[in-house]
Amino acid sequence: MDEQTQVPPGLIHFAAMDQILDLARANSLWPMTFGLACCAIEMMATGAARFDMARFGCEVFRPSPRQSDVMIVCGTINKKMAPAVVTLYDQMPEPKWVIAMGNCAISGGPFVFPGQYNVVEGVDKLFPVDVYIPGCPPRPEALIEGFLELEKKLTGKRRWPIAKAQ
Amino acid sequence: MTIPDLKTRLGEIAQGGATPPVTPTEGEPATPVAPILETDHAKRGTDLDVTVQPDRIPDAARIMDQGGYTLEAITGVDWIADKQYEVVYDFTSFASGKRVAVRTRVPRDIPALPSIHAIFPGANWHERETHDFFGIKFSGHPQLTPLLLPEDATFHPLRKDFGT
Amino acid sequence: MSSEGQTIHRETFVVNLGPQHPATHGVLRIKLTMDGEYIDDAEPVIGYGHRMHEKMGENRTYAKFLPNTARMDYVAAMFNTHGYVCAVERLAGITVPERAEYIRVVTAELNRLASHLLWAGAFLIDLGGFTPLLYTFDDREHILDLLESVTGARLTFCYYRFGGVCNDVDDQFVTGTREFITRLRSRMPMYHALITKNIIFRKRCEGIGIISAETCRRYGATGPVVRGSGIAYDVRKAEPYSAYPRLNFNIPVYPEADCMARYLVRMDEMMESMRIIEQALDLMQPGPVMAEKIPKMLKPPKGDCYFNVESARGSFGVRAISDGTDKAYRLKLRSPCFSNMSLFQECSRGMLLADALALLGSLDLVIPDMDR
Repeated sequence: MDEQTQVPPGLIHFAAMDQILDLARANSLWPMTFGLACCAIEMMATGAARFDMARFGCEVFRPSPRQSDVMIVCGTINKKMAPAVVTLYDQMPEPKWVIAMGNCAISGGPFVFPGQYNVVEGVDKLFPVDVYIPGCPPRPEALIEGFLELEKKLTGKRRWPIAKAQ
Repeated sequence: MTIPDLKTRLGEIAQGGATPPVTPTEGEPATPVAPILETDHAKRGTDLDVTVQPDRIPDAARIMDQGGYTLEAITGVDWIADKQYEVVYDFTSFASGKRVAVRTRVPRDIPALPSIHAIFPGANWHERETHDFFGIKFSGHPQLTPLLLPEDATFHPLRKDFGT
Repeated sequence: MSSEGQTIHRETFVVNLGPQHPATHGVLRIKLTMDGEYIDDAEPVIGYGHRMHEKMGENRTYAKFLPNTARMDYVAAMFNTHGYVCAVERLAGITVPERAEYIRVVTAELNRLASHLLWAGAFLIDLGGFTPLLYTFDDREHILDLLESVTGARLTFCYYRFGGVCNDVDDQFVTGTREFITRLRSRMPMYHALITKNIIFRKRCEGIGIISAETCRRYGATGPVVRGSGIAYDVRKAEPYSAYPRLNFNIPVYPEADCMARYLVRMDEMMESMRIIEQALDLMQPGPVMAEKIPKMLKPPKGDCYFNVESARGSFGVRAISDGTDKAYRLKLRSPCFSNMSLFQECSRGMLLADALALLGSLDLVIPDMDR
């Protein structure tokens, strides 16, 4: 699993070029249209008029994994669905990032109990995750914050400073 | 078909001396209920509660079909203390809003009863779901494969002894 | 093909649709056997959203299962909670105060509006129109703000309790709801101009996806599907519950049985929901919102009962069986989507694939509700 997902490092690096590429990637993240459960509705709400993900360049939802570079795992993954999710992840071209949205994608959420038979307890059991967004379901603001965190991971700096509590 | 009409027709196939809907705890006497009961809709949610033998289920379904009823749900219940599974068929009428529950019990070691998918095609999925959860076999069903569980699932999670 | 053309050589091929496909609204998979562009057989494969709700109903106490109900049909969470609390109240013999019943009706109907608005946007996306979604979500956000102010959640409301509701509504909610109703009423002509009168939309819906009334009955389809096939069946009228018997409203019915009929039923239902909300707000009197002396650890007496409510998608039923302990012995959750979806295989036969997706969209499916 690990060997498959690691990208071999390039022989020659152009530092300035890489920075520009990262900046470009961070400002045009294309998520995959991929809803699993409740959180998908909040993802739709984030893309719609009020919260407007387009402000951050990440509104281009692609129905095909081959055209997208962020997978928002929004919802519960069960054992029947898990192979399909892994296939989708493998179909995405590198570089790719994963956002685990909601408690189900983080740990199985409210559906974990002793003797449970059908839920995968966290998407990180299947493939690596970059950003975790807790909530059941997380608010659209939380998803936007998750994207800002991902941008920070790419470029090394935040788009906006974190607002201080008054 | 009105409730008294149905009561007459279903009464012909209802079994006598049925076990009560809920098993009493140890020491309590099992009070047999009538095989066919007119129930208070406001208290039970049904107007008629019928208990039949497993092999009479298609007959009951045919009567409900002729009465213009629709199959709303099939519920399995595991009465592990009685070594029985109960299957409850909930029928409702679009025209009158009346509701009829048809119950049957099958032994836990040979859980099998006839399928009614030929009478109500909607029963197809309900029976597959009940098979998923309890392992109850509906004989004559065209495709009794896991519906909600993974394709290769061999366990029946809603059995009371599941996971022990 | 033979030289005389006597026997027509037919070749079918299998296409897999889903479980990840934008038109399946989540994680539905359909195994399609195609004859060119026409469907020979479409077998739905479900279970990709199965989340063990019925098992959890048996190993959690009655109160602890409440949050689960909101996560079944998350687009219209109020109805599932409503069905569940009513079933347990029926088992335990709890009467709900008058004010709480009206609050339940108001919040449930607001949720129905939100659900139908979301459906209208998503259905149009299925048919290739993106713009209406932005308008419907705009209106939907107003409802979510109102519901959030009383329930604390935007989507997965856990607001009803056994014996009432957990918070009383304030004047701000009441005035806010009235203002919203006025706003949505004024926007309905805009929706009809934008969607209903759109010629492309009409061509995609009129006469497409016929579901006969008899098919609905044999498959147990309910909700807007059955009302779009000419049967005036609505649980709110057939088995009146909560405060609905005291309210005056109509059941929209269209006999055409096509996708357009199901669309129009939902649009008319939104008008009726607004009427219901206004009446309920008028009739609401100050008073308690929780029944007295509800034990913390509810132990309903032995027995079983059935309760169903009219969800945004059809008849949502709960069969609760109690053995006298603090946990249900068996909790059957009858989801409307499950029955509505089961007729797809029969009705989609011989349709164009693109039309079948219009039919699929018009059924208004929520997959985790179907799979439970």
